[in-house]
Amino acid sequence: MKLLVTIASSALVVSSVAGAIAHSGATGVVKERMVAMGAMGKAMKSLAGMMRGDSTYDAETVRNSVAVLQSHSGEALTALFPKGSISGPSEALPAIWSNWQEFEDLSEKLGLYATALGRASDKELQQPASGSGMNAQIMMGNGGMMGQGMISQGMMGTQSMEPDPDRLAQMPMQALFNMTAQTCSVCHTKFRVEK
Amino acid sequence: MRIWLLGAMPSLALAGAGFAALVYWPIGLEPKLSAIEGDVQKGAYLARMSGCIVCHTDTKNGGKPLAGGTELPTDFGRFYSPNLTTDAKAGIGSWSIEEFAKAVRQGISPEGEPYYPSFPYMFYSGFSDQDIADLWAAFQTVPAVSEPSRPHDMMPPFNFRAGLKLWRGLYFKPEGFVSEPAKSAAWNRGKYIVEGPAHCGACHTPRNVLGARKTEFALSGADQLPGGGSAPAITSDKLKANGWTVSSLKYALQTGLMPDGDVFGGSMGKVVRNETAFLTEQDREAIAIYLLEGSN
Repeated sequence: MKLLVTIASSALVVSSVAGAIAHSGATGVVKERMVAMGAMGKAMKSLAGMMRGDSTYDAETVRNSVAVLQSHSGEALTALFPKGSISGPSEALPAIWSNWQEFEDLSEKLGLYATALGRASDKELQQPASGSGMNAQIMMGNGGMMGQGMISQGMMGTQSMEPDPDRLAQMPMQALFNMTAQTCSVCHTKFRVEK
Repeated sequence: MRIWLLGAMPSLALAGAGFAALVYWPIGLEPKLSAIEGDVQKGAYLARMSGCIVCHTDTKNGGKPLAGGTELPTDFGRFYSPNLTTDAKAGIGSWSIEEFAKAVRQGISPEGEPYYPSFPYMFYSGFSDQDIADLWAAFQTVPAVSEPSRPHDMMPPFNFRAGLKLWRGLYFKPEGFVSEPAKSAAWNRGKYIVEGPAHCGACHTPRNVLGARKTEFALSGADQLPGGGSAPAITSDKLKANGWTVSSLKYALQTGLMPDGDVFGGSMGKVVRNETAFLTEQDREAIAIYLLEGSN
């Protein structure tokens, strides 16, 4: 156990050193947004541990992590991407500025989900039912392979859901958290350089 | 029984031509695919897992489900996924299930033309007759779209389609799925998914100059993927060295989240959102078990 902790903590040191190296040379907004992304990654990691049941659920920790996501989403995020700012170690793709509306929407969505997560944080965490539950259902929904709208709506039909954090907060935490992670992933797929 | 066979074999072999004739003497009947009842839901699940839906739907440009048109830029030219809807002219509405099976498992069109390996039929060659019947049943539920398939835009000499026959001779070795009785059921399920429908090796195994996978480097990572990305090594050694566990890997296949709190971007982000996130928990776990234990 002790050995495990030592290994884990040295891995942490190594990864933060690697992080520092990756950020070195970054200046101005590029550095600022890399730091912000790093903070969100840390928050997501802490949340994921609880969602997976690897660490004990703690509503206070959830709220703190969610506050980090909120503070770096929406306009706070998009403001760190002035047109053409891809200097130094930046991993931003120019597609951001040719699809600005989409970039803004995703950033807004992140804030919305984070808010909903915060509001749902007092609820008891439900046992992670086998699977995310939603998947099999959706994919076969509507009596056929591709029933209408399945693809364009993506999983869970998130786009058709009203953008209301209180309504979203009714969902199981894990599902809400998965939607948050997927929002990150959609944005990174479209707008981050793939290494 | 075995001793009897052993005894009989040499004499048969001595019979020379007779032996060969015996080997090629067809016995039994081809199971009639159309006689097998397909399960729409299982077929839809398999189509999702196999990437049929994501590759044959041009989501980016608002395309209808399975109507094709997704562009795949490669070193050999631009591919456009064809229309797989039930439209009799533009899609596969006039096909028989036998033609469908030949296309999926052997990569040969009803007209007898070889498909380009951008269609990963080699991974589907191990599909059982039941798999084919299930897929076929699911495809029958796809609403027809009359928009014709866009022809591929290949660079010479790759526009010479018959040349693919040579490629097939060199690189296409159809193999049914072989299970390992010594391994767990989950491991075997994972092997089936990884090597078959999920076709992980299509991106994670490096390719040679002719676009064939270097199978001796299976899953050891590849760069210069279509569109310019790269895929990391996902061999057992590399995954373990990078700190992956069955738990974190299956979670990443569901959510896109990596153990360090970062998320998959690039094409893996898409794979998770469009394919692995739709799988059952057991199947994601099976994939993780197989990849982490490795194939040895």
